[in-house]
Amino acid sequence: MASRRIEERRAQHKRYKEDVEREGKPFFPYAMFHDTVMSLVVVCVIIGLACVWYFTAEGTEDPGWLGPHFTPEADPGTTDFVPRPDWFFYFLFYLLRIFKWPDTVVLGTVGVPNILLAIMIALPFIDLRRERRLSRRPVALVAAIIVVLAMGTLTYKGATAKEALGSELKQSVPHWAAVQGFEDNPDAVAGAEIFAQVGCANCHTYLGSGSSNLGAPDLSDVGASNRGADFFASYVTNPSQYGNNVMPPFAGLGEENLAKLGAFLDASKGPKG
Amino acid sequence: MALSDRGAAIATAPTRGDQLKHVALYPLDWLEERSGLVGGIKYFLFRKVPRDTSWFHTLGSATLTAFLVQAITGVVLAMYYKPDPETAYASIQFITNDLTLGWLVRGMHKWGASVFIILMFFHMARVFLFGAYKYPRELNWIIGVLLLAMGMLEGFTGYLLPWDQTAYWATVVGINLNGTAPVLGPFLAQFLSGGAEIGSDTLSKFYSLHMLVIPGAIIGLIVLHLYLVIRLGVTSPPWSDEAAGRDRGEPPPPKGGRRGLTQPKPRGANGQ
Repeated sequence: MASRRIEERRAQHKRYKEDVEREGKPFFPYAMFHDTVMSLVVVCVIIGLACVWYFTAEGTEDPGWLGPHFTPEADPGTTDFVPRPDWFFYFLFYLLRIFKWPDTVVLGTVGVPNILLAIMIALPFIDLRRERRLSRRPVALVAAIIVVLAMGTLTYKGATAKEALGSELKQSVPHWAAVQGFEDNPDAVAGAEIFAQVGCANCHTYLGSGSSNLGAPDLSDVGASNRGADFFASYVTNPSQYGNNVMPPFAGLGEENLAKLGAFLDASKGPKG
Repeated sequence: MALSDRGAAIATAPTRGDQLKHVALYPLDWLEERSGLVGGIKYFLFRKVPRDTSWFHTLGSATLTAFLVQAITGVVLAMYYKPDPETAYASIQFITNDLTLGWLVRGMHKWGASVFIILMFFHMARVFLFGAYKYPRELNWIIGVLLLAMGMLEGFTGYLLPWDQTAYWATVVGINLNGTAPVLGPFLAQFLSGGAEIGSDTLSKFYSLHMLVIPGAIIGLIVLHLYLVIRLGVTSPPWSDEAAGRDRGEPPPPKGGRRGLTQPKPRGANGQ
């Protein structure tokens, strides 16, 4: 059976070569004409995009139609900048929001992309039939439609996803204080405001706010273990001394702010009742 | 001996035209004798392709064109860009605002990247829908998948280079994502960031990957890709009645005159 298939496809390729030799057209000028026109179109589109981008935008302020010329210079000290990848990584960006629980985040970052890659590489060994007409390849057709829809949806969702901004999060601080019961602790309230503004919630979730992009844990009840404000301040200053090499150090916030942040984290014993 | 040779030469004296032609073509003959390149190019240009190839088959060469645009604009950018956190942002500003046509080169590189990625996906979709990944072209499909992965890595490494906020923080997230991979992840993240924080080491590593390592791999893979395309040939559209390699028993190709510039009269159409 298998050997008959191999013979059949060899015969078909032989027939293909003979047909091309007998009925085919020379690459130059026939196919090359198409290729040249298409290549010129591509170059014109690229130049057109560059012109629209450059002439409708202005510096860092005016995004124009296609985005600003550049955003402000990189500053490792800022913590409220919302990370945004290039558009062709939006699907991955959004996958991370789907697999947002710490145990599954690796599925979004590594699992799904690598499985897709493996399936793509394996495709010619999975689909061994000679049939090439789409009307007789229902599985391939349906798979193609699903992949296009899924990638399209994920890209669209990734493009339109909104990260919680510090200014919006700050309005939740009184609510957090009430739920956690640290209204009477001014240091913790001040720490909560720092937490909301410096971008902790870009990676962590807190009482349902924020996003867990990188599998960073939920911090709603991080203080339940009673490790003390100093511990948290020291941890945030340099997480790598506690074996955490994923979280960046936040020593740049300054000791005073870090102490308040520590007080806030220690006061976060989890919602009451 | 010499005399009789000269006599023969006079007897069949080459015309002036022949002599001129010989002189004009001498460099080509010289090259052909020593390399076979002329014959190779002739083979490439005049090899037969299926008579029903169409606009669908231009997506591959369009992708190649987009890559060449990236390569050329990238070389120009590399002349003015400074891969150092202190000066990178300023050099990008210089290229965009001060350098003559620098905005065009940077704009073409920035947007050419997206066009390149989109065309790779279109080309891949065409190959998938035509079933062109099937025997004997499996290997070329795999090379294409690797090219797609390399193209996306180019996008990832190039995104950091402007050293603006978008670039920096997207890369922080990207490196941390690498770090979540089991076993290799932390090593990869450590290698890419080159230290505790993303800084000058990261930038030089990304620059080296972006303009030496990955483009080198892409060029090598493209050469293999094209070699296999030429060796195996391109597939006819699957719906075509005159597809090369069609199962016999199906109707023969229609006979008749030329149908426009791009579809020549078939050779065997005169009842041969």
